[in-house]
Amino acid sequence: MAQTAIENNIKMSNKDGYGKKKLLRAGGTYLLLLIVTCITIIPFLWTMSTSLKGEKDTIFSVPPQLIPTDITFSNFVQVWNSLPIPMYLLNTLILTFFGVVLPLIFCSLAAFPLARMNFKGKNLIFMMIIATMMIPNEVTMIPVYLVIDKLGLMGSYAGVIVPGAITAFGIFLMRQGFIEIPKEIEESAIIDGANVWQIFWRLLFPMLRPMLGVLAILSFIASWNNFLWPLLVLDDPNSYPITLGLYQLQGAFSANTRLIAAGAIIALLPVMIVFIIFQRFFIEAAYSSSVKG
Amino acid sequence: MYKARHAWSFLSIPLLLLLLFTFIPSIAALGLSFTNYNVFDPVEWVGLNNYIQAFQDSEFRKALFNTVYYWLLVTPVLVVFPILIAVLVNQKLRGISMFRLIFYFPVLVSVVVTAILWKWMFAKQGIINYFLSFLGIGEIGWLINPSTVMLALAFVTVWQGFGYYMLFYLAALQGVPKELYEACELDGGSFWQKHIYVTVPLIKPMIFFVTVISTMGAFKEFTLMLTMTSGGPLRASTTAVLLVFQEAFTELNMGYASAISFILFIVILIITFINQKFLDQNPR
Repeated sequence: MAQTAIENNIKMSNKDGYGKKKLLRAGGTYLLLLIVTCITIIPFLWTMSTSLKGEKDTIFSVPPQLIPTDITFSNFVQVWNSLPIPMYLLNTLILTFFGVVLPLIFCSLAAFPLARMNFKGKNLIFMMIIATMMIPNEVTMIPVYLVIDKLGLMGSYAGVIVPGAITAFGIFLMRQGFIEIPKEIEESAIIDGANVWQIFWRLLFPMLRPMLGVLAILSFIASWNNFLWPLLVLDDPNSYPITLGLYQLQGAFSANTRLIAAGAIIALLPVMIVFIIFQRFFIEAAYSSSVKG
Repeated sequence: MYKARHAWSFLSIPLLLLLLFTFIPSIAALGLSFTNYNVFDPVEWVGLNNYIQAFQDSEFRKALFNTVYYWLLVTPVLVVFPILIAVLVNQKLRGISMFRLIFYFPVLVSVVVTAILWKWMFAKQGIINYFLSFLGIGEIGWLINPSTVMLALAFVTVWQGFGYYMLFYLAALQGVPKELYEACELDGGSFWQKHIYVTVPLIKPMIFFVTVISTMGAFKEFTLMLTMTSGGPLRASTTAVLLVFQEAFTELNMGYASAISFILFIVILIITFINQKFLDQNPR
């Protein structure tokens, strides 16, 4: 691929004249990027290769054997059968669904009055929300754990989901979205006799779509990879998400590198697929969190 | 056109959640740090005892040292290296957007998976040592040697994080007017000169932002250590928040753990403030 890209660049640079320097720079760029790409993907490739290695292949050797000769899927079969992988994936899916949907709802509910209404105490509430953005989650980790405990949510999915169900950053983001909608939009709706919930839900909420997308992606990454709260809250192994299941697997099979590798690949695949499908949105979400954060 | 009761009806549930999981915990974090709360015994007010204990505790000092060491390893690289990558992938070349996607992907990988991948990379007969053997460097037990464990963890952090900051810088680069580069080119500036004299001053706010974010990230990190090394060997990779985590949830010394986390919070605030003074001397 790089080869054709360089060739293509030769054509381009011949056209606009000052060729050699530009070509050299393109070559240099590709070389540097390929080196960084190798460093980025080697851990994945090595794990992939390990997960496919059969009995005859060695795992740790000098030089390392990157391409398995005795290719087998038995490691995947064994992990799939010996661990409740489908259940872990389903648990993760449930946790991720609520981890994405609840912030979308609660953050927009809070942001709507903060962006478009005038009432006593508005500035105070907004300042308090912004101020908590300064306090890292790690500082409030212990009290949040105690609140979950006092509410009787230990061991339940609610206990895992609820600490992230609303975030100051999400409210901030949604408020920006509401502010960008022109004022006139609601006025005509009010004349038409719509009530305030209809205005919110039918009129304004759909207009927030770009911001909702950003928040959804950010929440997806956070929930899919959530490790700390499942670790602290869940006690029944049957309710574990894949991250926690894998953490356990690592302890249980620590001698069997092939099985752990297969488990890691199973955990990686869904993220990879979602990323490939929604790549544009992931990149946009990262952009807007850099601009607005 | 809206009434106050409308506002409060929208705010009621969100505010209740914020109250329970953000506002109260923020205050309780400070309050707990003045108690001996340990789940079992009745809660007693112990004043500044936890703080005094923390400063006399060699484990805490070590954890603080480890955290600062980790920060110094990680943040300069995460501030500078992604600029270079962003400049490279900001060119109009074929296939360049694929590189962006590849570099960003590790950001999405769960810390548990990251730990698994890199434990093997850093194994004695792992790939890192294999590559180093070409440079004549002998086998290093990266994760089992107290003097190298943080280097390895810092490397993993950079691997996982550089794509994230690359996108931040890309967003900033797109705001740099093209005419400025053309002017620089006319004056005979080379590719890198162009970027040092034009890009860097113009993306300074973003450099500041990345410095702050990656500093906070470094000071808060503990799940990578928890999953990769459990803070070892010999506590050489126990960061301050990992100590908080262990004190709170293994030892159940929640009062003491709260005091440590509050000290850490103050440290983060001070460093953010210093960063701001250094990098924000010129008005944006």
